[in-house]
Amino acid sequence: MKRIATAIVGVVLGALPALAQQVNVTEFTLENGMKFLLYPRTEQPNIIAAGWVAKVGSVNERPGITGISHFFEHMMFKGTNTIGTKDPARDREFRAEQNVLRQRILDLTMKDQYRRFRAGEIDDPWDPANDTDEMAKLRGELKASMERQRAESIVKTEFDEVYTKLGASGMNAFTSEDVTFYFINVPSNKFELWAWMESDRLTDSVFREFFSERDVVHEERRLRTESTPTGIFDEQFEAMFWQSSPYNWPVIGWTSDLNSYTMEQAQDYYDTYYQPSNLTGVVVGDFKIEEVKPIIERYFGRLSPGTKPVPPVATLEMPQQAEQRMIAECDCQPQVEVRYKAVPWNHADEAALEVLAGILNGRSGRLYKNLIEGAQIASSAFAGVDSRKYGGAFSFAAETKGDAKPEMLEEAWYKEVERLQNEPVSERELQKVKNQEAANAFRRLQNNFFLLVQMGLFEAAGDWRYINEHPRAIQAVTAEDVKRVANTYFARKNRSVAIYNRLQGLEPEDPELLALGAEVGPQMKDMVKRQLEQLKQISDPARLQQIVGQMESQKGQVPPQMAKAFDYMLKKVKDRITELEKGGN
Amino acid sequence: MKNHTMIPGAVRVGPLALALGLAGASVLAATPTVLPGRPEEIAFRPLSFEPPRAAEHRRTLSNGVPVYILPSSEFPLVQVVFSFKGGRYLEPGDKAGLADMTGAMLRRGGTQSMGASALDEQLDFLAAQVSTNFGATAGTATLNSLKSNFDEAFGLFMDILRKPAFEPEKVDLYRKEVLEGMKQRNDDRSSIFQQQVRRMVWGPDHFEGREPTKQAIDSITIDDMRAFHQRVVHPGNLIIGVTGDVTEAEIMSRLEAAMSGWDKGQPVPKETDTGVAMKPGVFYVEKDVPQGQVFIGHRGIRRDDPDAIPVMVMNDILGGAGFTARLIKRIRDDEGLSYGVNSSFQQRVEYPGVFATGFTSKSRTVALATKIALQEIEKMRSAPVSQEELDVSKKSFIDTFPRTFESKAGTLNVFITDEWTNRPKDYWQTYRQKVESVTVQDVQNAAAKHLRPENFAIMVVGKWEDIAPGDPTEQRPDYKAQMSDFGTPVKMPLLDPMTLQPLPDAPRKD
Repeated sequence: MKRIATAIVGVVLGALPALAQQVNVTEFTLENGMKFLLYPRTEQPNIIAAGWVAKVGSVNERPGITGISHFFEHMMFKGTNTIGTKDPARDREFRAEQNVLRQRILDLTMKDQYRRFRAGEIDDPWDPANDTDEMAKLRGELKASMERQRAESIVKTEFDEVYTKLGASGMNAFTSEDVTFYFINVPSNKFELWAWMESDRLTDSVFREFFSERDVVHEERRLRTESTPTGIFDEQFEAMFWQSSPYNWPVIGWTSDLNSYTMEQAQDYYDTYYQPSNLTGVVVGDFKIEEVKPIIERYFGRLSPGTKPVPPVATLEMPQQAEQRMIAECDCQPQVEVRYKAVPWNHADEAALEVLAGILNGRSGRLYKNLIEGAQIASSAFAGVDSRKYGGAFSFAAETKGDAKPEMLEEAWYKEVERLQNEPVSERELQKVKNQEAANAFRRLQNNFFLLVQMGLFEAAGDWRYINEHPRAIQAVTAEDVKRVANTYFARKNRSVAIYNRLQGLEPEDPELLALGAEVGPQMKDMVKRQLEQLKQISDPARLQQIVGQMESQKGQVPPQMAKAFDYMLKKVKDRITELEKGGN
Repeated sequence: MKNHTMIPGAVRVGPLALALGLAGASVLAATPTVLPGRPEEIAFRPLSFEPPRAAEHRRTLSNGVPVYILPSSEFPLVQVVFSFKGGRYLEPGDKAGLADMTGAMLRRGGTQSMGASALDEQLDFLAAQVSTNFGATAGTATLNSLKSNFDEAFGLFMDILRKPAFEPEKVDLYRKEVLEGMKQRNDDRSSIFQQQVRRMVWGPDHFEGREPTKQAIDSITIDDMRAFHQRVVHPGNLIIGVTGDVTEAEIMSRLEAAMSGWDKGQPVPKETDTGVAMKPGVFYVEKDVPQGQVFIGHRGIRRDDPDAIPVMVMNDILGGAGFTARLIKRIRDDEGLSYGVNSSFQQRVEYPGVFATGFTSKSRTVALATKIALQEIEKMRSAPVSQEELDVSKKSFIDTFPRTFESKAGTLNVFITDEWTNRPKDYWQTYRQKVESVTVQDVQNAAAKHLRPENFAIMVVGKWEDIAPGDPTEQRPDYKAQMSDFGTPVKMPLLDPMTLQPLPDAPRKD
């Protein structure tokens, strides 16, 4: 023990400067309540990364308007009375006209199409293919109005064009459960451009193309959620995992809600959550504070202070009372996820849970050593902490290898849990994770854009100082802390399990089984397959040999219609023994 | 104003801000100020930027190996990159996967002085990150380490490169990992799409179109990997880049010592084009998802084509520029048919690259989106772009040019790639002039010459019975489209993920 301790001291000294490193942020708040974080940095010259975060995401929504935060993010690129139109007055008329048409379509959908859907007359109340004549006519008028608007008043993608021609790049935004984040890189002489553009859209957004843009969001949903191997299941698992918490709907929103929110709901949402006191600007890069601060004051100072308080997220997650389980079939590698209710961002136990995950992860971590390399049942395995503003989770996820079943990975995980709950982790493992965290604390600060995102996210969750304080919390974690959190959170009734099996019928049938012909009916084939699946979980050749012995002794008693299937199974068990003796898994 | 810092920002106005007339606004925040009516009215100070010259940062070791050094003392980290010429193009045809496996096993297979598991453990304990991999035409080994641990980590890194052990158990483990990944080839629409497009563009025998089968992976031996390593990983085939908290003298002497006794082998030959000519037409592959994924394109130009810069600008206007490009304006913004649309002229140095237009759209509007994309391409060829479009594109390339060199690691990468590919020495120094000189006529010439609709191959992956007929609810005559408008669709089989042999039609799942 002593020898190891000396080695640790050496490396800890090496890591110490990491803890001394500070991101020295200058912060100030305008009179209207909008806060700014400034961090000048010259390592990446000539460039400024700038952005702002609205402290609003899907967690602030409610049924009926799920997805509106993300939809808003799209709307914010559609311009103002200055940007995006050559005739603001005419453009306003078009928007009003379309709002009326859309409201009529919406009313008819809710009244008639929903009724027809509930009666089983149509399969989808929103599909234009199911439109009544009246609705089809209104939809035609709406499209015609949008086309006229394009021709007469819209200047297409002008917001993007102004930025692009003036040298800005990487303009984008993202929405999560907790925040909506807008960002861009501008050349260091163009900071004022950013201030102009962003303060303009924060004071004067008009939600142009409010109706056509939701088609784009539907395409985004089809792309991310509906056309990926596990997308729709991930969404359902999340909805099952969170019970009372508003984290249980997807950021992109339920399809029906995406279709139905109105301009009035949007305006109300905007007035509530985009008031300056709910926003934080972040600037990182090659600039001087005394240059940018007056610009910020001039431009962002024009935002009107909010008139109503931002409603708190009151609904807490109810303590879970029983294990939840989802069993899915998909075009995917068989896999498992075990997810536990854990802690919100910056909770006192967050660092210990992260260290625990660190001990499991990586090629020298426990999951690789025991599941991938040792038992050879996993092709990948990972543990992670997902701490959000109002709640959090801890997940174990793994994909199978060879003939292993997801349930075997699940069992192997519970063994790891037991060990974590009963034995303190070794000093060496603990120190290794701390060393990595200390080095990574530097690596995370090397890029302006990532710095900006971290500062904004932390500030939105509570306090940007987390960027400096969290590495210290990690270094303070003890082996006893890790054991304690393993016992606190990894309880059976606190977990939800998702099992993914490969969709049957997509794997080619074993030719030998096919060769048995019609004599062996489908039911018997299924039974044979099920039995073989069970046998595959036995990896001890001696035990299998025993089974072969039993089978051979029973052979005479097998009814004739089952003889072929029986012989096939016997052969498969023998093949399995040969394979195992050759050193397969 | 609330102010939580020690800097009294409101009254400390720099000389530059004074010169621009901003002082009044900030000192007297209560006074209403007139802001510019439009962003174009803002007076920006000029920004001068000169791209770094590779030669100024290039040193040579006594064995002739070039070293590019860009120190940075912001963090106590050191990053060393060893770049080797060589990659998948050197694999024998029946050993696809060899380059990848060799790269992975350098890092994972242990060294002659330390077993693989002990090495993983020690590198992790030192918080050092080491990666080794071979791509299509080059291999990279990277070490990122704390300065305080650098000597030990660098010693392990050099052992990995010079004395790899390729431990059989670790090779076996990796082989199984590759095969598990292989099983998933048909799970995701995008992976089917990429596989089919690669095979269509390059042919299944070109190293860019070729993929390993289970048989190939099973056939790769440790000797194969040793031979590949021997041929590629040596000082005769190496360029080094260093950044981070080191001085030139320190790192040069460390590198000199590391080269000692390392035989300099022959440089490997360059890659050549072994691809087949691409067949035009409309092709599709079945995948039961609600959204189709589409490729439209053909082989393109070489990186050093005399038209390369006009082609770059032309493509930017067509579909490269993201939100301001024509394809995204029409297909996403006007019609709401897609979330993402783009086009690219992917460059290759030694042979022509690929022109690719890609997008996804719900099944019933794939045909309409395809029609619009083809119309926009035709418009690019037949009509001049507006002066304004050209100006936006050129200004964007010129003003974002400094970003090419924004990080030191990125700059090293440019230097190393340029040396491997013999990029003309003054290329970056004259880049902005070259962009500036592009005219409306140049753009149209580039489009007419390098976009060839008669050669287009269209590949669609999705649910064909919903895609083929187009949108039955479309009422506007000009917007009616079906897939047979673009040629006679040819069904391509899904491939067995392990053998890459055509699969019979999958049974329907309900």
